[in-house]
Amino acid sequence: MAAPPPTLLDPSIFASLEAKLEEETQIRDTLAQLVQRLDRSVATAQGLLSRVHSTPRSRYPQLVAQVEAAVKDEAAIISELDKVASQHPYYKYNYKWTRSVQHAIGTAIYCAWLGGFPPKAPESEQASEAAASSSSASSKEAEIGRLLTLEEVGAIFSVPTNLKSRDAFHLTIEEYLLSLADLTSDLARLATNAVTLGDFQLPLTISAFVKDLFAGFQLLNLKNDIIRKRADGVKYEVKRVEDVVYDLSLRGLIQRPGAAAGAGGADTVMEAAE
Amino acid sequence: MAGGTKRDYDGNARAKTSQQLPRGRFHAMFENIRDELDEHYDRRERVIKASRDVTAQSKKIIFTLQRVKELNKDFPGDIQKDVDTRLKEIAKLLSPIAADVQSINRYRYGNSLKCLEELVEALSFAHYLRHQKVITPEETQAATPADVLLTPHDYMFGLFDLFGELMRFATVTTAQSGKLVGDHERNILSDIQELGCSFEMLPQIPTKDFRGKMEVMRQSINKVEKLGYGLVVRGSERPKGWVPDTRDDIPRPASPV
Repeated sequence: MAAPPPTLLDPSIFASLEAKLEEETQIRDTLAQLVQRLDRSVATAQGLLSRVHSTPRSRYPQLVAQVEAAVKDEAAIISELDKVASQHPYYKYNYKWTRSVQHAIGTAIYCAWLGGFPPKAPESEQASEAAASSSSASSKEAEIGRLLTLEEVGAIFSVPTNLKSRDAFHLTIEEYLLSLADLTSDLARLATNAVTLGDFQLPLTISAFVKDLFAGFQLLNLKNDIIRKRADGVKYEVKRVEDVVYDLSLRGLIQRPGAAAGAGGADTVMEAAE
Repeated sequence: MAGGTKRDYDGNARAKTSQQLPRGRFHAMFENIRDELDEHYDRRERVIKASRDVTAQSKKIIFTLQRVKELNKDFPGDIQKDVDTRLKEIAKLLSPIAADVQSINRYRYGNSLKCLEELVEALSFAHYLRHQKVITPEETQAATPADVLLTPHDYMFGLFDLFGELMRFATVTTAQSGKLVGDHERNILSDIQELGCSFEMLPQIPTKDFRGKMEVMRQSINKVEKLGYGLVVRGSERPKGWVPDTRDDIPRPASPV
């Protein structure tokens, strides 16, 4: 018999596997808690945003201010998430939070669409976070229908976007595109509700915006994945909004470019709300 | 930034068609996004293609290794040669995509790189046959013929698949030699049991994949245990040194009468 018989297993193998598995469980638990908090915060913002359907345009600024605050609450949680997630390979755990982050992005984009997060005057919004938003709320008429870019969303949440060479937390293009698809379906709903509230101009703004987004989606070479599925759905939203615009123009309820404006705009408004 | 190139199924540049589309307000932004997505899709495609071929080569290595008859011996020349050429083939397949799966992209395409589990299975099986030991993660990484990082997950799930190979090897060699192969006062039954216990003691991962692998592992162990049982119960009836005839060229009687 030889001296010490060789063993089957180096004991370090399963010791290290076990340590890794336990670490992963801990990380998943930590992330799950963060994501749960983020989900709650996102739900608050979404709840506020849903009020837009029953809010006349004149009262958007107040609503938008509330949503901005809710988005900042999300941003605080996302920055915690950033700290935890950046310690680990991004794509190992991103399934945990990607949906929640997508919805958070959606609230920021929707808020900006309604006139929130106004761009800084000298056009460079990258520098600091959205600190100016609340103070300058009344400075000038908020622009409706503005689309935040992914980079601008990243600036609002103070996290990087579309990282390629560095392995850290960031917002992805996929999350951004999916949140745009979410936005179109809610804007389609808003188009009808705006009409009910007597706002006949908003559907035109929405129609132009959704069409431009749709044209954008058509530029993508999508594979058979979730983005394609959602992007394909955008055309139905385009149609929904077009139907609203059609209804309005058929009844002469909107100003046509060139045509003289109907004399009593307010009167026609009332009639339309049948 | 200039617009990207659309590519057809084979990856050849395609004439631009986007000009006919209406230029919306967000045209430039979406063109950027398209370039980024194209890059990602192309990369994933390359990884998937390579992965499929590496899987096929790894499986062939395993088939070759199943022809080995003894533990703890150098492989016969033809088997060693076959394994070497296939490993070289794998190196050729993996090297071009090594850059695609570095850093952040290692886990991004982790699902498309399932071939590494298959490779770990082949490497661990070869290691066991040569040394009657379980390969360590470091040895596995060193034996991987390309600059591709093996994750603990690849290693662990590769080892899971080793059970099936050990079971097949045990079945064949036991039938041929009339005993459970093994040296160092261990045999393949005690080895597979020991390895199985180690897996049983790991914290369980609540995924379907993991549970499925555990179940298959238990079945494999069970089959080898039955082999051991059969040897004790029926083995005594066998003449000492009796070996089933493994030559195929013996003409069999045409009919059983």
